[in-house]
Amino acid sequence: MTAWRLEWLRLTRTRRWIAIAGVFLFFGLLGPLTARYMGTILEHYGGDLQVTVPPPVPADGITQYVANAIQIGLLVSVIVAAGALAIEGKPQIGIFFRTRATSIGEIVIPRFVVSAGAAAAGFLLGAIAALYETWVLLGSVPFGSWLAGTGYGMLYMVFAVAVVAAAAGRTRSRLATVMAAIVVLLGLPILGIIPKVGDWLPSALIGAIDGIPRGDSAVHYLGAGGVTVAAIALCLWAGMRWAESREL
Amino acid sequence: MIRTVALEKRYGDTAAVDGVDLDVPAGSIYGLVGPNGAGKTTLLGMLAGLRRPTAGVIELGVERQRVAVLPDTPHFDPWLTAWEVLDLARTLVDRSIPRQRNDELLHDTGLEEAADRVVGGFSRGMLQRLGVASTLVGNPELLLLDEPCAALDPLGRREVLDLIARLRRAATVVFSSHILADVQEVCDTVGILRSGRLLFQGPLEELLVGRAVPRYLVRLRSDPAPVAAALRTRPWVTEVEERGDLLRVGVDSLQHAEEQLPGALAEAGATVVSLSPEAASLEDVFLEVMA
Repeated sequence: MTAWRLEWLRLTRTRRWIAIAGVFLFFGLLGPLTARYMGTILEHYGGDLQVTVPPPVPADGITQYVANAIQIGLLVSVIVAAGALAIEGKPQIGIFFRTRATSIGEIVIPRFVVSAGAAAAGFLLGAIAALYETWVLLGSVPFGSWLAGTGYGMLYMVFAVAVVAAAAGRTRSRLATVMAAIVVLLGLPILGIIPKVGDWLPSALIGAIDGIPRGDSAVHYLGAGGVTVAAIALCLWAGMRWAESREL
Repeated sequence: MIRTVALEKRYGDTAAVDGVDLDVPAGSIYGLVGPNGAGKTTLLGMLAGLRRPTAGVIELGVERQRVAVLPDTPHFDPWLTAWEVLDLARTLVDRSIPRQRNDELLHDTGLEEAADRVVGGFSRGMLQRLGVASTLVGNPELLLLDEPCAALDPLGRREVLDLIARLRRAATVVFSSHILADVQEVCDTVGILRSGRLLFQGPLEELLVGRAVPRYLVRLRSDPAPVAAALRTRPWVTEVEERGDLLRVGVDSLQHAEEQLPGALAEAGATVVSLSPEAASLEDVFLEVMA
């Protein structure tokens, strides 16, 4: 039983993968449906209020997916990742690993890789569902644009899990880890209000899956992508360093 | 194996461990006893490298990788089976250890039949035994066990004590316990901790014989009354109690008794069946030291 197999079992045996896959798949299927019938829904429930909705375009299906998935899907991914990465949520379990592993990386890296992989795969699954249903209901989205946007979205999910890893190194309980990670992830877009800063933040990647099919160049997100890769490495390093130096 | 010099751990103004000079001989089973809040867990945590000392020095005569630690209430991921927990511990410590080691330890700790059950349904005693097994799986040279028998029923306690006793000379064991009978049974060296300070440290025999009020037990074949009367006249005899054919002879020092008691008995015309120092229980001595 290696630390890698342990993480795989954590995901599969505890059915946590179903939570991640389920929530992204749900929004992947719901997004294009909402985009397609938004006008009808508003017409039906709007009463006397007259709402004019422009006819949906294929990119709207993907927009709806990412708008919903990036909130609930991100939250579920953070909670699942915290379950794996907050090793010292139960100090006795922390003692088990800390006194046996040769380095903190031996414990943290498999947890990070499997959790990040699950979150990214969940996002991809939802994006595939959204792509298919958008094609059925609204027409096709250029595959290259979708692929580039989805890749950036997956990278953002990996970043979110890296933030969880950093938070887990700093806090003790799983709840505190989730809260700290959510504060950082929600706080980043606020920083983006500062002119020119927003394009370089990891949170800019959330918009890529929506922006690229609408005409943004994939290259436009490269800067944010590079910053995100660096931030992932920094978060992991900091999380491991904090976890290693913490007393149990 | 372990030596600490003026080891100290402070939390604000409170000293959890205060100037402890620990000396644990290699191959010994060292019992760390003390009331709640004495600093036992903190001391073990520092020895395990899980807590940083505020001051002082720790010298471990073994690589960190060869140290195994058992917390007082072991927990494991509840969806793993007992066998998987042991296999995980084995893999983390040393992959070259054969897998059969898991089966051996499950057998030794009485968990053989629960090997394929997930540990989420285990009783506290079963978790404790699994904790002991997961500590032993890597064949460590130094074991730090925090209350290893605390939650065990008599059978489980017996199994764990036997496991610890079998480690004598093969490994060095430091274990803290509230159950003084356990310490007395398996430990050869004892440290008594109170309020973070080490009040006594040394061989168990020395503690039991040397610290408690010294007494000798003399079993006679002849009439004990005249012998008791003769002993009471000796200045180094503090009291003599008759219990059938047995005399409990209180002495002012063990040295006096060793030098003069046989002669005094011979002079009193006693027919001696046996003569031995009365071993105090660790509980007696512990209470005496605490007082």
